Amino acid sequence: MTQDEMTDTNDGTDPTANAAADTPDPSGDPLVDQSIDVEGTSTTEQTSGTARTVLESRNLDVYYDDVQALNDVSLAIPAKQVTAMIGPSGCGKSTFLRCINRMNDLIDSARVDGELRFEGKDVYDDDVDPVALRRRIGMVFQHPNPFPKSIYDNVAYGLRVQNQTENMDEKVERALKHAALWDEVKDQLDKSALDLSGGQQQRLCIARAIAVDPEVILMDEPASALDPIATSKIEDLIDDLAEDYTVVIVTHNMQQAARISDKTAVFLTGGELVEFDDTNKIFENPENQRVEDYITGKFG
Amino acid sequence: MATQDGLETSREGDQQVSRMRGRIFEAMCLAATAIGLVAVGILLLYVTADAIRPFSADPGWHLVFFATLVVPSTGFGLYLYARDGNAGKVAYTALGLGLIGVLLAGALVILFVEIFPYGEWFALSIALAILGAVTVVHRRYRRHAETERTGLLIVTLLVTVFGIPPGAIAELLGLPFYIPSVRGLIASSPVLPLDWIMLVPSLVLPVAAAAGWFVRGRRESNRAGLVTAGAVIVGSVLGVGLGPVVGVGVEGWMLIVLSTAVPLGLYVESVLRRDEGRLGLLFPVVLVGGTLLGAVLTRTLGFAGPDPWLDWGFLTSATSTTPADAGIYPVMVGSIMLLIVIVLTTFPVGVGAAIYLEEYAPSSGLMGRLVTLIEINIGNLAGVPSVVYGLLGLALFVRFFQMPTGSVIVGGLAVGLLILPIIIISAQEAIRSVPDSMREASYGMGATRWQTVRNVVLPEALPGILTGTILAFGRAIGETAPLLMIGMAASVRVPPNGFFSRSGAMPRQIFQWARQFDPAFLNGVLPAGVVTLVFVLLVMNGTAIIIRNRYQRGS
Ligand SMILES: Nc1ncnc2c1ncn2[C@@H]1O[C@H](COP(=O)(O)OP(=O)(O)O)[C@@H](O)[C@H]1O
Ligand SMILES: [Mg+2]
Repeated sequence: MTQDEMTDTNDGTDPTANAAADTPDPSGDPLVDQSIDVEGTSTTEQTSGTARTVLESRNLDVYYDDVQALNDVSLAIPAKQVTAMIGPSGCGKSTFLRCINRMNDLIDSARVDGELRFEGKDVYDDDVDPVALRRRIGMVFQHPNPFPKSIYDNVAYGLRVQNQTENMDEKVERALKHAALWDEVKDQLDKSALDLSGGQQQRLCIARAIAVDPEVILMDEPASALDPIATSKIEDLIDDLAEDYTVVIVTHNMQQAARISDKTAVFLTGGELVEFDDTNKIFENPENQRVEDYITGKFG
Repeated sequence: MATQDGLETSREGDQQVSRMRGRIFEAMCLAATAIGLVAVGILLLYVTADAIRPFSADPGWHLVFFATLVVPSTGFGLYLYARDGNAGKVAYTALGLGLIGVLLAGALVILFVEIFPYGEWFALSIALAILGAVTVVHRRYRRHAETERTGLLIVTLLVTVFGIPPGAIAELLGLPFYIPSVRGLIASSPVLPLDWIMLVPSLVLPVAAAAGWFVRGRRESNRAGLVTAGAVIVGSVLGVGLGPVVGVGVEGWMLIVLSTAVPLGLYVESVLRRDEGRLGLLFPVVLVGGTLLGAVLTRTLGFAGPDPWLDWGFLTSATSTTPADAGIYPVMVGSIMLLIVIVLTTFPVGVGAAIYLEEYAPSSGLMGRLVTLIEINIGNLAGVPSVVYGLLGLALFVRFFQMPTGSVIVGGLAVGLLILPIIIISAQEAIRSVPDSMREASYGMGATRWQTVRNVVLPEALPGILTGTILAFGRAIGETAPLLMIGMAASVRVPPNGFFSRSGAMPRQIFQWARQFDPAFLNGVLPAGVVTLVFVLLVMNGTAIIIRNRYQRGS
């Protein structure tokens, strides 16, 4: 594997080191401005005014064959916060999420225009290896999708494919603890993951994603297939995760976005980003009339 | 009022007509299903009756076996069917495992005696052991040098299989001596070890280790694993004394233990441990017990059994001009060798093509259209008549590549071409049935395409792939037309002595018997051959069904 910047955090270094918040971009890429202010962050609670931008899209367009799914989307996602994407279904939320870790590469008809920068580097540059990119940007899907393997093997999967097999037991335990699942499964790590309940399966998928210690975690409606109790567990978990990771979550549930996110992006039909701001601002005093209509349930 | 009444009756009339139509349709569908099944069933019964000749037995013989075998096993079977579904499943799995195991043992004996002598197998297993040892040692010292390891393994494989003969390569390397291959080393030893002695380290120990390892994992106890491995070894080595006594020879005993007793034992253990459907385990016991009891009773009462065409003599002798002496053995060996060629060539090629088409090939753009075109034509190829494949085999392998006419290799390749599209299509279906969410999960973890295919897609798709390919291999065994076209021998007296020598095959032999004028051939030998072939096919299909049921998703 080439030692480009998308891989350098995986080999040799302590995996916990690269999650440190405010260290400058290790690649020293001149294109990234470390002090970028995210638009209108004045009321962000966690950070006092500024937060480092981890992900930034500029004029992003995505097409599936001739259908345009995203239209000129520009936004900047701050580090170690929860950014929510809301909007009616079919408005391109999943598409945006799947662009970030280049999961859209798996769909032959998808085509991407514009810029999408991760730590200053355009992820669609020719020299970016999508496999290495996905090792730094984990993903959790809408429906829990554990492998039909044991609980242990599920969590260890990423470690194995990324060749980080030292102290595997420890790392598996740490990931399960972090995903608030350890106490429920510690005596049955050999049991098939498919025997767990839906909520447990989804927490297992989260454990699987964080076991390899990514920098960003993308979640596509992670609780939409779960009952209210399992959902609230996942929401608590997301709150915790934001201490160590940058979390981007898609949800169609506005209360959920309001509860757990620091920033909210509202997409409306046609793949347009209509408003992106602090969550408080979006829900209390949105600038855009259409956003207000959507939030108050007048359409959507 | 009146009009309303009228309305209601007419609606009711409509409903009745529609219900009636539904019933007629259902009955017609049922009839269509039944016609096919009944026709084939009657034909098979007829042929089986000719092959077994049940009516040549004393009525007393029938009565005895009816009482000891038919009544108890049907009664028990019906009871299980009605009362305890789990036990029913256990019953047929245990029975199937036993049957497959016995057949496998027979095939292995034929394999070792006719095709791949014990000495060769011994040499190969030593070469594999050396390969394994090299891998383990290399992995310990240079863990991440995977390319280097692959290269080393290839070199080791070449050296162990071929050695470094005196000559150019040895001189190039500046070796003052040459290294013999493992095989050469064994062949040059002054005394060749006995067959069973070679079998112990090369087959008994590996199987014992595998069984022990399996039980150790299942029971989470080292002791259970050791006991299992020990039991396998002891059970096999007992054959040194017992094998000749029961008439299967030492090697035969060992192979029966390894292919029948071991899987059956593991299955029984798992059923007992899970405590589900234990009762089903009694079913094979009832069958075997009933047969033994019936045999003893008929012998003591002096009832003569039937005098079947299909008997031990038929299975173990060559064909002959006198129907009573005719047998199927050499062509059975020929068919097994054909199957070896077919499996070794079509499985990797077919599954490889399926993996490429499903996992790698682009699905849009110009290339995507090309791939679609190829896929459509694979479907078409599956429908091309088998004679055409025979012609292709004749032109390609015999005329163009100058392979010997009617040899095992040509027959295997021609029939292999015939079933290749079927294998590709069924493997594609199995791979396609792996949900995309599994692939996404894997890619999302930063797995490469190869890692995803190897760790997620293939393990999930394997049972489906195996089911489909076994069914295709069953089809291959019965194919006759291509064998006629490429000139397989009509009837042979000795098994082929290599893959490049001329050979017969079961269906080809059956075709030959069908052309005899002697009614004893037509009404005796021919049905016996047909029943043998159909039995093999049924067992293969049964294996496929067992695999499918066992690994079905969600169970
Ligand atoms: N694989 C695909 N092929 C073609 N069109 C797609 C594909 N995935 C999504 N789309 C289209 O892109 C648009 C956005 O979809 P998506 O991003 O899934 O929306 P959301 O997640 O907001 O519901 C929709 O119109 C959808 O039909
Ligand atoms: Mg979506």
